[in-house]
Amino acid sequence: MSENNTTPENGADANEERALSVFSSERNEDLTALIFCLITTFLVLLFTKWLV
Amino acid sequence: MPRAKDHMPTIIMGVSLIVYGLIVNTGALLATMKYLGTHKSMDLQVLMSLILGGLTLAGALINSMKEPGDSLFDRFFLQPLGGVIMILVMAMAIRWYLEPLVKIMSTSLQPVLGFKIYKVLNLNYVVLGILAGVVLTNTYGIPKFAEAGVKCARFVLKMGVIMLGARYSFAELAKLGVYSVWLIGFFVLGTVFMVLWLGNLFKQPKSMTGVLSAGMGVCGVSATVAVAPVVKAKSTEMAYTIGTILSFGIICMFIFPTIGKLAGMNPVQFGAWAGTGILNSAQVAAAALAFNAVDIKTLKVAEIFNITRVLFLPIIVLVLATWFGKESGQKLNFKTVVIDKFPIFILGFLILFGMSSSGLFSPPSHYKGKYIDVSYNDRTQVTNEEWEVLNKAMAAGEFSGLNAEQMEAVKDLIAQHQIAGNYDERNDKALFDKVGRARMTQLEGVLAAAKAKTITLSADVKSAIKHAVKQVHKKSKTVVTLTDFMIWFFAFGLIGLGMQITKKSITQAGGWPIVMGAISGTTKAVLSFFVVLWLVKDVVLN
Repeated sequence: MSENNTTPENGADANEERALSVFSSERNEDLTALIFCLITTFLVLLFTKWLV
Repeated sequence: MPRAKDHMPTIIMGVSLIVYGLIVNTGALLATMKYLGTHKSMDLQVLMSLILGGLTLAGALINSMKEPGDSLFDRFFLQPLGGVIMILVMAMAIRWYLEPLVKIMSTSLQPVLGFKIYKVLNLNYVVLGILAGVVLTNTYGIPKFAEAGVKCARFVLKMGVIMLGARYSFAELAKLGVYSVWLIGFFVLGTVFMVLWLGNLFKQPKSMTGVLSAGMGVCGVSATVAVAPVVKAKSTEMAYTIGTILSFGIICMFIFPTIGKLAGMNPVQFGAWAGTGILNSAQVAAAALAFNAVDIKTLKVAEIFNITRVLFLPIIVLVLATWFGKESGQKLNFKTVVIDKFPIFILGFLILFGMSSSGLFSPPSHYKGKYIDVSYNDRTQVTNEEWEVLNKAMAAGEFSGLNAEQMEAVKDLIAQHQIAGNYDERNDKALFDKVGRARMTQLEGVLAAAKAKTITLSADVKSAIKHAVKQVHKKSKTVVTLTDFMIWFFAFGLIGLGMQITKKSITQAGGWPIVMGAISGTTKAVLSFFVVLWLVKDVVLN
C-alpha cells in the first residue's frame, strides 16, 4: 500500500532516519538499552532498598 | 590543544553546568526554586550539574587534544558527548524551569480563560520537549557539534520504555475481573486493526499506520515510542501520532463528562468509559475528575482501565511486528515472529514488569509505586492532638450523620490511633489487611460525604481523618526513583525526537494521520460508550 507513496526522496529520508543511531544494529541498541536499564535498576535497588 | 575551537561549545556547557551546580549549592536560587516549586529537587540539581559538568569538561578536553578515532570510547562517549549534553541541558531547563513556569502562568491565567492551559493542551515535559526540539531544528538548526549526540535519542527512548515496566504490577491487573480485561483487550486490538485498515484505505505509509495504530489503541506516548522501531517509523510520524492522540484527547476531555452526565452513567461506568475511550493518562484523570470530583471511585476505575492497556503493549508489538513483516513481503512463521521479531527492549519492559509484580520494588499490589499498608506502625498513628480532636468530636456527637460502617471505622481509629485491622486478628494477615482497608475506604467515604456537604464536620476533624488516611498510603522510594529515571529518559529522547522533525517532513505527512486518528478514536469512543453502558455494572473491581 505504501509503495505508491514512497518517492525516491521519501526513501532516502527513510534510510537517513534508520542511520540515525550510534549503534551498528537494532539488536545491539536494544541489548545495550536493556543492560543499562538492568544496571540502573540494580543501583536504584541498592541505594533505595538494600542499603537503607 | 589543536581542536579546542571545535569543542568550545561543549567546554562552555561543561563549565556552565559546574557553575550552575555551585550556585544552586550555595542556596542563592532557593527563593526562585520555591516559587517554581522545584526546591525539593535541589540536591538532584546540584548532583546532576556537577557530575555532568565534570564529565563534559573531561570529555571535551580529551576531544580537544586527540584526533577522532573509531574505538568504542570514541563512538559511544567522545563523539556523541556534545549533543548528549546539549539535550540534557535542554531537558533540565524544561523540567526545572519551563514546565513549572508554564504551570504557574496557566494557573494565573485561569480566572481570565476559565481553564488551565497546561492541562488542556497537556503542556508537560513530553510536549514541551518535542516542541523545543522542533523549534531548534527549524530555526537555528542542529549545531555541528551536537549531530552525533542527537543519534542517541532513540536508544534513550527505548530505555524509557523498559523503565516503564517498573511502574506497573500484575496485582493491579488482577484487580479487574477477567471480564474487564477482555473488554479492554477487545478495544485495544479492535482500534489497532481499525487504524491498519484505515491506513490501507487511505494509502498511507506502513510505518505511519503502524505507529498510529499502537498510539490510538494502547495509550499514547509510551506505545508510540515502543512500536516505532518495530515498524521503522520516522520521527515525524511519531510526533504526528503523539499530536493526534493529544488533540483527540483534548476534545474528549470536554465532551465525555457532559455526555456521561446526560446518559446518566454511574461513577464506575463513566470511569470505565473514560479509561477506554481517552488515550492520554493525564486527560483520562481530568475527564474522570470533571465527571465526579467528590467520589474518587470514578478516577480509580478510569486509571485502572487506562493502565491495563499498557500491559497489552507486548501483544501489540508482536501483532504489529507480524503485520509489518508480512506487508514487507517476508515469510513469517511462529519462531520468526515470537523469537526473532520480538524486540529485546520490550522484553526488558516485561522483565521490569515481572520484577515489579514479584514485589522486588514495592509490595506487589502497588500502583505506580503507591501502596496501602494498614499494618501496626508507630509512624502511621495520628498525632496526640488529632486523637484528642477526634475523641472530643465523638463525645460531642459530631459524627451522628455517619452510617453504621463509617461510625465503626471512626470508633476504631480512635481506639487504635491508626487505621488498621483488628488486633486479635493480627496473625491472619489477609483478614487483618482486608478489615484495615475496609476501614480506610469507610473513612474516605466520610471525607467525601463532608466534601459533598451531606454531613458537617469541623475542619480539625476532617484534617485528622485526612491525615490518618494519608498515613496508610505509602510510596516506594525504589519505584519513585525508577520513575524519575524513566521521565529523564523520555525527556531526553523526546527532545532528540523533536530535533529530527523538519518543516519539510511535516508537510510531507499531510493531514491524513489526523483524519485516521479522528475516525478510529470516535468509533472507539462511541462503541465503548454502548458496550460500557450495556455490560459494565456497578462492580468491576474485585
